Amino acid sequence: MSLLQVKNVSKHFGSLIAVNNISMTVKPGELRAIIGPNGAGKTTFFNLITGFFRPTAGRIIFEGRDVTELSPARRVWCGMARTFQVTEVFPELTVRENLRIAVEVASGMRLRPWLSQIDDEKIRGRVRELIDMSGLAAKADRQVGELSHGDQRATEIMMALALNPRLLLLDEPTAGMGDQETYEITQLIRRLQKESKLTIVLIEHDMRVVFHLADRIMVLDQGKFLAEGTPPEIAANEAVQTAYLGQAA
Amino acid sequence: MSKLFKPESRRKLAALVAIWTALVLAPFWMPLLGGYTALGTRVLVLGLAAMSVNFLLGFTGVLSFGHAAWFGIGAYGCGMILKFVALSTPLGILAGTLAGGLAGAVLGALIVRRRGVYFAMVTIAFGQVFYYIAFQWSSVTGGDDGLRPFYRQPLHLGIATLDILNDATAFYYFVLVCFALASAAMAFILRSPFGRTMLAIRENERRARFLGIPVELHIWIAFTLSCFFMAYAGSLYALVNNFADPRGLHYSQSGDFVMMAVMGGMRSFWGPLLGAILFVVFQDYVSSVTINWQIFIGFLFVLVVLFFPRGILGAIRHRVAS
Amino acid sequence: MTQLLLFNITNGLIIGAFYVLMAIGLSLILNLSNVINFAHGGFLVVGGYIAYTLEPYLGFWGALIASPFLTAIIGLAVEKTLISRVYGRDPLYSLLLTFGLAFILEDGTRVIWGANGKPFTIPAALAQPLSNQFFFITSYRLFMVVVVAVTIVLLFMLLRYTRAGIRIRAGTLDLETVSALGVNVRALRSLNFAVGIFLAGLSGVLAGGQLGLEPTMGAGLLMPSFIAIIVGGVGSLTGTLVGGLLIGVASGVTAVFFPAASEAIMYVLMAAVLMVRPRGLFGEEGMLT
Repeated sequence: MSLLQVKNVSKHFGSLIAVNNISMTVKPGELRAIIGPNGAGKTTFFNLITGFFRPTAGRIIFEGRDVTELSPARRVWCGMARTFQVTEVFPELTVRENLRIAVEVASGMRLRPWLSQIDDEKIRGRVRELIDMSGLAAKADRQVGELSHGDQRATEIMMALALNPRLLLLDEPTAGMGDQETYEITQLIRRLQKESKLTIVLIEHDMRVVFHLADRIMVLDQGKFLAEGTPPEIAANEAVQTAYLGQAA
Repeated sequence: MSKLFKPESRRKLAALVAIWTALVLAPFWMPLLGGYTALGTRVLVLGLAAMSVNFLLGFTGVLSFGHAAWFGIGAYGCGMILKFVALSTPLGILAGTLAGGLAGAVLGALIVRRRGVYFAMVTIAFGQVFYYIAFQWSSVTGGDDGLRPFYRQPLHLGIATLDILNDATAFYYFVLVCFALASAAMAFILRSPFGRTMLAIRENERRARFLGIPVELHIWIAFTLSCFFMAYAGSLYALVNNFADPRGLHYSQSGDFVMMAVMGGMRSFWGPLLGAILFVVFQDYVSSVTINWQIFIGFLFVLVVLFFPRGILGAIRHRVAS
Repeated sequence: MTQLLLFNITNGLIIGAFYVLMAIGLSLILNLSNVINFAHGGFLVVGGYIAYTLEPYLGFWGALIASPFLTAIIGLAVEKTLISRVYGRDPLYSLLLTFGLAFILEDGTRVIWGANGKPFTIPAALAQPLSNQFFFITSYRLFMVVVVAVTIVLLFMLLRYTRAGIRIRAGTLDLETVSALGVNVRALRSLNFAVGIFLAGLSGVLAGGQLGLEPTMGAGLLMPSFIAIIVGGVGSLTGTLVGGLLIGVASGVTAVFFPAASEAIMYVLMAAVLMVRPRGLFGEEGMLT
């Protein structure tokens, strides 16, 4: 039983084919990495899965349900959450406030004009939990916009987590980070997979992270599917090596 | 309870007490500064209008430049009740508020998918529709001359009668109570989970959407709420002047309200009220001194945009933070 | 009846042509720089008054040609000193800025030239009706349409065939890429703004010849321009062109049946377009939304 089934999905922008007939099946609890040279269509692929665009062709099935026509917000309600390549958070609000909003929305309280004492406590509790899990406790009351890159990314991941998703999509979570921060985020992601039993799909360029975390890897090149398999299989795959080395030239 | 003793909470409470003390005692200290009670009443109502615009602008990040339309509809609604239907102030206010709010709800549904500059354009154009109607439908609205005569009616409160028609001080306190109710409602909403989704939309619409917030719906709700508040302020304004003016619907009036919010500080709850005070005082002074007062208002706009975009309270906050 | 209808449709097209001239200038500025130029009406007035001032020295024709250029220079100065400072910011600020500018221009006109209206004399040859049959078309109105048509054609050619024009069009679609290709975006915006103001100034001269000059004449023309842009579709100059003519004709035709509603019809059209096709007749999905 798969969690996510992407069936023959394509995306055309006029005459530009960004994603060309790609399929992917992800099992529950799996950590799948999507890699490929720049311009391979990875982010566009993500955008199709999360509803940022409609595909030109193909279907997206999540937990057995066809979500191809659903808006991004509805897909979130179905259990998908994502982070972006350029961190998307609420910059002028504090970490705590960012998380609070995520938790409230996830609890179905977004339209509430007031909160009972009990609900308020529950929400605060959940926010505290998330803050502790992220290691941002010391900075929880600072404006997110003023934090370091890595902390902003961690906040964003926590916000995605606050939504109680069953599928977490991370777009280049370690982009722009130094070694230490990369290590911390990698550990965080690993913890999420193991402890929260999340299914995770991530786009990454940093091969250390990919080979450290992934159960399976899918390789894209110029919008087309190139290869898929376990990390050892992919490492040995000649077509993959050519794609990467060819690009480097 | 322990939260009350945090320094930040104490500061906020002190500020709140100071503001309300000043407002409650206004009829006493205003004459000392060369003002008079009726001016205070006027400023209070315009301040409420500016706060209503800011509900949308500063807290949701939505730029409506035609909001005077709802203000005007509220004014005409209230005036028409008093003139044609019944001599009841509360009914006038209710009617005006409902008229403007419902009209806003309908329009909001049409335009809620637009953003930024295009949204602003459409709000301006639609605002002008109502201006045009007020001007042309002169048999009902009085056209260019405005809607008159009607008078705010004394309030019969059972134990006593509040003569808000003739007693300027009584009227001021009546308006202050109305203001208190509205501003309390606004503050309440802003503090609620829904209010926080408004902030989310302002801060980062894409992230709000990808948290599962149906952005268009929430914007529509915020828009409609602000229209209700705006129409409420408009009804009060009709009572202030015993008159409803078509010019109150013109987009230049909208611009004035936005400027008040910006001048005082868009990110602050009380900023627009401060902005209204400054704007009205400035405008009254300049128009009493020269016939070409419009140039000065124009320069005010330019100066604020170029040098004080955060407004006064915003600039103070920024200073304090750094 | 047909005579009356024809009269009003022709009238409508003439008015529409005029709206087009105003609206296209506004549209140019909006599309490239994301600025709603509230002061556009103010520049119209300035253009008209400058022509009035120049007329004794240069005659009607000289004033007609010189005034738009001078107005454009003023516009350029304004753009460089004021408007360019708010480009990166929230659209709120450019709105407030041009709003304030509108006040300054209108009242400034009053200060310099007085609050009363001024007459603007057109050559006698143009003041005659075209013929006895078409008594309702004075030569001047035909002349206006011709000027507008020629100007629009020249503008479209400029945008299609000159390097600057192509850059402006590209910039409307993707300013980032244009900038990355090494084009001086600031200069481009300035040029674009100046062209827009040139059109506003020209509108002012033409309007002055038709209606006489008054400090308040610009404000009344701003709304039809807005509506033309909304109806035609934001982001599309062709749309603005069609939109302007459409509301002009609609206004003219309505005048036959419901004279009182001839102005209202513009707003009705706008509401209809927004409900049925929110992006406008020629608008692209995603333009400025």
